[in-house]
This record gives sequence, structure tokens and C-alpha cells, in this order.
Amino acid sequence: MTSIAFRRRAQLAVLLGPVSLFLAVFFLGPLAIMIVTSFLSPGLYGGVEWTWYPHNYGRILGFADPMFEDFDPIYIAIFLRSLKIAAMTVLATLLVCYPAAFCISRLSDRWKNFCLFLITLPFFTSLIVRLFVWVLILRPTGLANEVLIGTGIVSRPLDLIYTDGAIILGMVYVFIPFMFMPVYASVEKLDWTLVRASLDLGAGPIRTFLRIILPLTAPGIAGGAVIVFIPALGNFVVPAILGGAKVMMLGNLIEQQFLAARNWPFGSALAMMVMTVMLVLLFIHVVVSGRRGFDPATGH
Amino acid sequence: MKIFATLARGSLIAYTALFFAFIYIPLALIAVYSFNANPVNMMTWTGFTTEWYAQVLGFKTKISENALYLESTSQLVEALWNSLIIATSTTAIATVLGSAMAIALYRFDFFGRRFYRTVMFMPMLMPDIVLGIALLIFFVNSGINLGLKTIIIGQCTFLISYVFIVVTARLAGMDRTLENASADLGANEWTTFRKVVFPQLLPGIVGGALLAFIISMDDLVITYFIAGVDVTTLPMFIFAMLRRGIKPEINAIAVMMLTFSFLIASLGLYLRSRQK
Repeated sequence: MTSIAFRRRAQLAVLLGPVSLFLAVFFLGPLAIMIVTSFLSPGLYGGVEWTWYPHNYGRILGFADPMFEDFDPIYIAIFLRSLKIAAMTVLATLLVCYPAAFCISRLSDRWKNFCLFLITLPFFTSLIVRLFVWVLILRPTGLANEVLIGTGIVSRPLDLIYTDGAIILGMVYVFIPFMFMPVYASVEKLDWTLVRASLDLGAGPIRTFLRIILPLTAPGIAGGAVIVFIPALGNFVVPAILGGAKVMMLGNLIEQQFLAARNWPFGSALAMMVMTVMLVLLFIHVVVSGRRGFDPATGH
Repeated sequence: MKIFATLARGSLIAYTALFFAFIYIPLALIAVYSFNANPVNMMTWTGFTTEWYAQVLGFKTKISENALYLESTSQLVEALWNSLIIATSTTAIATVLGSAMAIALYRFDFFGRRFYRTVMFMPMLMPDIVLGIALLIFFVNSGINLGLKTIIIGQCTFLISYVFIVVTARLAGMDRTLENASADLGANEWTTFRKVVFPQLLPGIVGGALLAFIISMDDLVITYFIAGVDVTTLPMFIFAMLRRGIKPEINAIAVMMLTFSFLIASLGLYLRSRQK
């Protein structure tokens, strides 16, 4: 018997050994180093000095290093604005996906599968190409303005690109599959006999929606909200392309600290803020939904 | 009441049609305008041309005689080549490591299993930029020169998770009785794995590999941080082009990339639908 137990352990070691080593060195290791870096002092010419320095967080939260600068609320403003844009992205994505999920859940299996295929397909196509299309549509000489001017609705091109709205639109476009799948999963499970019962017993459609449909599909909505909010908050590609230099989000600020300003500890602290928001959200989600784990594949 | 129900149903269907239009019309637009001859404003139609495609593919055209254009084409080819090298290497590594992890977690019970599962889901939830800068700090501190090598290692850290999830799903759908039958009939463990388990697992592994390949080809954020100054990948090339100003060839590149990923994704989803 011991030899079987030994063989199983040997098999496990072969299967798990290399991948554990790889992830420990190249995944968990770098994250740990980033956390440490966020508490170190930035060197004068880039680089890092190995001294305890809480003011990286202080620059954001209000206790900046008194030796170098007064507290500037610009960073907390960018942080709050990123939270706002991410929240609006979640809301807009939900509004776009929710009714469609109801319609698709009522189709025959054949059509249902085809529709799900069409919704997942863009996820596999190049992100940058999908965003580029919106540059062509939204810029001053783009399609949207051409149509608006051509039909006489406006006389001068509108500022469509490089706005918060453009960023939210771009994010909605990119994150639709992330929201749709969890929402769809709970809409499909919805027990329609309860809805009928509610209507039969005299509740109006609005009341039935608020008291029956919404609570029953809430887990999917919550799951979708979490998996859209987190990547939206730290996103830097969408604001870089559709926000131009005008709209700065956390992601752009972090990029700037690493590739232009060379203040890595401050950049790490900003990234840690994103991570903190993410962990808080996941914690709330797990506590509220009462489940013991979170599966990003389904959003539950 | 019946009229209302029909009306509600009709508007829901109309809404869903709009929903799909919102997803696909923009993509169709680039496809159409990639044949537009207008070199200045890509959204004003001035005539049909295949010139942009010819240019991307490196054929001689009127414009490509121009030295500047030739240079940008050679950069593009180099970026494409880099992307292919990276995607092939990462797919190979991530498929082996991710599948091993999936088998280990599904078939063995051991201390720390939950921890491993959490680690597997972390890269999917974490914003890319966090992993990108963590890797950048790590590579620079450990004195590893940024380049193809670091991109391959960096992409593997999250591609392993994608392979893991696809293979795990396949493992969950597998029929254990066949293995017992194989053992009862006298096959040893290795033969059972080779002849019974592996063939059943193969569609999952292939699916995971295809997914890893597509995601590697498409990754911008993590690659952007750990690429260093000498290496450019295809998404980085387009990103840089978008920031500098758009040229019409970008439409043609975009359409070719879309076609490529549509084909691979359709193939993957087709393989999956056939197993069911």
C-alpha cells in the first residue's frame, strides 16, 4: 500500500512541481516585490532606495512627504474619477445586456447557442482593433460627425472622442461578453412560474419586476458587475486611445509613473490601490452572496 | 392584455437586434472601409481599392515606392513575426503547465489545493496593468534584459490560468467508468492514461491551447510593460500607430487580424460543440 501512496505522491510532484516553481518565481514573487516597492522611497534619478516610506500612499491619500511637496488632491481626484467611470461602465453594460439576456433566454436551443456564439466571438478578437473602430467613428472627421452634419442635426463637428463618454462607450463595447454571460446564466435559471404567480395574484408588471425578477437575477448582476468593474478601474488602453491626453484614469497614471516619470514606488502604490478596491469588492461579493468561493468563469 | 404582451415581445426582439448591430456594425465598417481609396479621411468613400492590403502584404504599389512606407511595412512584418514567435512559445509552455495543474487539482487531494485554485483564478481577476508592472519591477531588479524572453515568461503567468480552466472543464465532463474498465481489464496506470484518459482529455487541451494562442497574440497591456525598447508585437505596433496618427493600412491590418481570430475562435467553439 505504501508503494501506491508513494507512487501517487511522485505523480503529483511531477505534475505540480514545475508549474508551482514557475508561478512562485514569476507570478507570486513579482506581486510580493511590487507590494514591497510600494513602501520604499523613490530614488532621485529613477530607481528605488531601500528605506521605509509611507508617503507613496500619502501622496494619494493626504499625507504627502512634507520634505518635497504639499498635498495635491489631483491624485485622489483621478482615483475617484476612475471609480466613477468604472461604475458608469458597469451600469451602462448592464443596461445593454439585461434586456438582451431575457430575449435570448426565450429562444430555441439552436438560436440560443448561435446568439451566445456571436456574443463570445468578439472576446477572441483583438481588443485594440475593436477600440480602433471607435476612433474612426467618433473623431471630428469620423463617421458619427459626418452623419450628424450630413443630416443637418448639427452644423459643426461635435467633440465626441477624448471625453468620459467616449471612454465609457469603448469600455462597454469591450466588456459586453463579461457582463452578458453571468447575467444570462441567472436569467436563464429564472423560474417563470413565480412571475406568472405574481401577475395572477394582482401585482403589476413593475412590481413583479422589482419584487420577483430583479431579486432572482441579482446574483448574475452582482457577478457581472464585479468582473466588469475591476478591469474597468485599472484599464489603461481604453483611456489612452479614446480619452487621449485629456481624460486621465488610474491606469494612465500608473503607466506614466513607470514609463515616463520613473517613480516606481508611487506607481506601485497606485496599483495597490486598484488591488485594494478589487479585494474589497470580492470580499463584499463573497460575503453578500454567502458562497465560499468566486468563479470568474461564470461570475458566481 | 394580449396586445401588450405581443408589443413587449416585439420590442424586446427589436432591442436584441439592435444589441447585435451595436456589436457587429462597427466591425463590418472597418471591413468595408479597408477598401476605401481615400488616403486622408478613411470614413469618406472615394472609391474601391485593394492597395492597403497589397501594401501590408509587402507588394509593390505606387505609394510603397516611398521609403517611409517601406520602413513602416518592414516594422509591421517584424512585429507580426515577433507576435507569432511569442504566441507559439507561450502556447507550448502554458498548455503543458496549465494541463498538468488541472490534472493535479482534479485528480489528487492534497494540502493546499484551495490555495492553488485561488492562485489560478487570480490573473483572470487582477487588472492586467498590475501584473504588467509587477513583472517589470521583478525583471529589472533581477537583472534580466527585457525582450522576447521576458514577454514569453510574463504571458505564461496568466495563460496557464486560461488553459487550466478549459482543461478542468473537460476533466469534469469525463466518464470515469471507462478508466475503471481499463484497470479491470488489466491495463496498468500508464497505459490507462495513454489510451483512455489522454484521448478524452485531448479536445480540452487543444481548446486551451487555441485560447492561449489567441490571447497571447492579442495581449497588449502586460506585453507593453515588459517588452523593453527593442521588441514590438503586433498589438503594440497598432497601439503606437493609433497614438501617432492613423494611416489607412491599419484598416487592412485590422481586418486581417479579425479574420484570423474569427477563424481560430470558430474552430475552437466548433470543436467544443462537437464533443457534447
